[in-house]
Amino acid sequence: MTELWEALVTAVKLIISFDPEVMAIAGRSLAISATSSTIAALICLPLATVIHFNKFRGKRTLINIVQTLFSLPTVAVGLFVFVLFSSAGPLGGLDILFTPAVMVIGQVILISPIMLGLTISALSGIDKSIADTAISLGASRLQTAVITLREARFAVLAGLIMGFGRAISEVGLSLMVGGNIRGFTRTITTAISLETSKGDLELALALGIILIVIALIINLVLNRVQQK
Amino acid sequence: MKKNAVITILAGLVIASLLVSASGCGQPRLKVATTTSLYDSGLWDYLEPMFEDEYGVEVDILSAGTGIALEYGMRGDVDIIAVHSKAREEQFVADGYGVERVPFAYNYFLIVGPADDPAGIQGLSPEDAFRTLYQSASSPFISRGNDSGTHSKEKAIWASAGYDYEEVRTAGQWYVEAGRGMGPTLLMASDMEGYTLTDIGTFLSYPSDLELVPIVDEGAILLNVYSVIAVSPEANPKTNIEMANNLIDFLTSPHIQELIGNYGVSQYGEPLFIPCAGAEPTS
Amino acid sequence: MTLIETANIGQKYAGQHILKGVSLNINRGDVFALIGPTGAGKTTLLRLLDLLEVPSSGSIYFDGMDVTGSKRLRLQARRRMTFVLQKPVVFNMSVHDNVACGLKWRGEKGAAISQRVSRVLEVVGMTEYSSRNARTLSGGETQRVAIARALAVEPEVLFLDEPTANLDPVSTSRIEEVLAHIIGEQKTTVVMATHDMSQGQRLASRIGVIMNGEILQVGSPGDIFSTPQNKEVAQFVGVENILSGVIVNRDDNLVTIDVSGSLIQAISDYHIGEEVHALIRPEDITLAPRKETSSARNTFEGRITRIFPVGALVRVEVACGFPLLIVVTKRSAQDLKLTVDKKVYATFKATAIHIIKRWN
Repeated sequence: MTELWEALVTAVKLIISFDPEVMAIAGRSLAISATSSTIAALICLPLATVIHFNKFRGKRTLINIVQTLFSLPTVAVGLFVFVLFSSAGPLGGLDILFTPAVMVIGQVILISPIMLGLTISALSGIDKSIADTAISLGASRLQTAVITLREARFAVLAGLIMGFGRAISEVGLSLMVGGNIRGFTRTITTAISLETSKGDLELALALGIILIVIALIINLVLNRVQQK
Repeated sequence: MKKNAVITILAGLVIASLLVSASGCGQPRLKVATTTSLYDSGLWDYLEPMFEDEYGVEVDILSAGTGIALEYGMRGDVDIIAVHSKAREEQFVADGYGVERVPFAYNYFLIVGPADDPAGIQGLSPEDAFRTLYQSASSPFISRGNDSGTHSKEKAIWASAGYDYEEVRTAGQWYVEAGRGMGPTLLMASDMEGYTLTDIGTFLSYPSDLELVPIVDEGAILLNVYSVIAVSPEANPKTNIEMANNLIDFLTSPHIQELIGNYGVSQYGEPLFIPCAGAEPTS
Repeated sequence: MTLIETANIGQKYAGQHILKGVSLNINRGDVFALIGPTGAGKTTLLRLLDLLEVPSSGSIYFDGMDVTGSKRLRLQARRRMTFVLQKPVVFNMSVHDNVACGLKWRGEKGAAISQRVSRVLEVVGMTEYSSRNARTLSGGETQRVAIARALAVEPEVLFLDEPTANLDPVSTSRIEEVLAHIIGEQKTTVVMATHDMSQGQRLASRIGVIMNGEILQVGSPGDIFSTPQNKEVAQFVGVENILSGVIVNRDDNLVTIDVSGSLIQAISDYHIGEEVHALIRPEDITLAPRKETSSARNTFEGRITRIFPVGALVRVEVACGFPLLIVVTKRSAQDLKLTVDKKVYATFKATAIHIIKRWN
């Protein structure tokens, strides 16, 4: 119990003192996950509407596959991305292994199934009569898609938040493709991993608490947007 | 109106994030893969700023097990490696992946265990200590169980004591394969009141309390030499060979060698490393 | 003048024929009520007329163009019409924004939109609700917003699918007021489906009776009401006395019909020997305690078998050789001291009987 208490105290001290290293890695976690979430959202929202509004063979199978990919282990994605961008790999020429950029790419791959699947789910929850009404009022296919997304906005946003949550909390991918380089690719989660392996459990726990606090703040902000 | 303000702020944050994420691309950097025991001692954090200032380059230090570090070197994902496994290093160079093996510092491994030494191996040679542990099969021994330099050393001691490693692995419940880094392995040994092989750097610098003390710390086989090897441009043409050579020069320079020799004294009472550039010890 | 015309269209869902051989035309300016019981195919027909679906057989013409097959032409034509669903769906935004949707999607700009929206909200009487979230409205209010939304885009044809089916009587009359106003002021062509015959009578200029996927009769409300062409239509429009008999005598156009032994006199062109139905509306029969002399040709003595009140009226069933259903006001029932088993005389004019050919 004292360990947890010590950790809480350390966390508060680190936050209040604006410890530069902690601020840096917290900012980096946020930046990388915010970027990957935004990119994933820009891809998945339109893709989800296309899948939802069109009938085609294998649609059910596709959705099943997407939902199966919710459970992609982060280390597996990490390994895949590593092999892809390694100097010895097909995309090695881009020279982005062990940089924040490749971490973003990996996270986009990791969270896209979730964002895609949950958005499709959200759209499916909207009665067909909404689309029918829009069409009967003269909406084009794009306008119909937009109004349906608007009607489903609560559930859609929940899916985006879920995707962001998965991105900011993952370790396996960031460790493998980022390399946990101090001052460059170290995030809160990879720092926790390092401190744990070094035996500094108190610091690791403190960082964990800081991560939860960040997630809480993000959630509160997005919730306010969700209400309107 | 408030909704628009929130959206604008979020958009601004996203743009800032994009800039951070794209940072560092295209800049010349030196990538170093080093073994965890060397990294965890803090030596790299100490030396890195000095090197960066002197040569005006960003250094990326990746801490990984010896096995993974060698893999990175082979794939050309790093420009230089710093590990502590002589046989594998020589193989690395012989296979053409590395230019030259340059030892620059050393220390010793030691066997640590509970203060009351239940297996009674205090003062024995490393090989005898291992034999005793195997035969009594009563006290736990925690092995790194991974591809690390420490694990290679452990296997070398078993071999020297006359055992086939596969026999040891299946010898019984007393032999535990942790599959983890040195820190968690020490923690396991402490919790289980068992023994483990560790490098002195990690052991001394471990931040929390451990119920472990040095039990066996003498024996030629316990020698732990750290070497640095530049990745060969013949195997990986895009490697930053120039800056890698600078780092080798830096580490073997008299001034830095002296700093390495003093590192840790003020904190732990004894130096964590002994410099040995150009004069690799054999015992 | 014909705006929409269907030629022998049919519709199938999952192997079932929902509509068969429907040939209709809707003229510009018509207020056409499609009347029929639930499940008759009203919604399906409406959706076909609004070009929301393609018929499985037959053709549809809009403003002279064949729009049956061409997706492009259908889309073009559809944009000139709007549809209000039976359970209308409003978007999760303010009433104003809901009504403005159709205009925004058609590319109208800010000031023009606001103007049109306020005008149309006034027509349906929802001006005070403009900034309220549409999801918080009652059924009747939602229906009015949906109507406003449909009107805002100034369609040439407005389709309404059972607009008051889910509403209480007060909301129903409110909606009917709005519809009457629209019909009077806007000169929009209206096609509405309803199962309420009297609503059709109140609002429509033409009525089409649909049952089991077939159009049984089309005509003015008066036609349908007083001269239903067959038994089904008759029953649906409230002609509850359907007597079966055969013509036994004829004098010019005055015929005598034998109904289970009793003789009824009516006006008809049918000939002796023809088997017919005699249709009499319950309100067209009068009851008296004694035989009265009157100009009515048909008077029958009988016994009251059942009495029960319905709203402000009283339904009286009388057995007088054949069963008769009579409807009187509560006042009359009291004045005549009507009770079960009482002996009464039922009288109706020859002109009150509508003769149709026997159908079963």
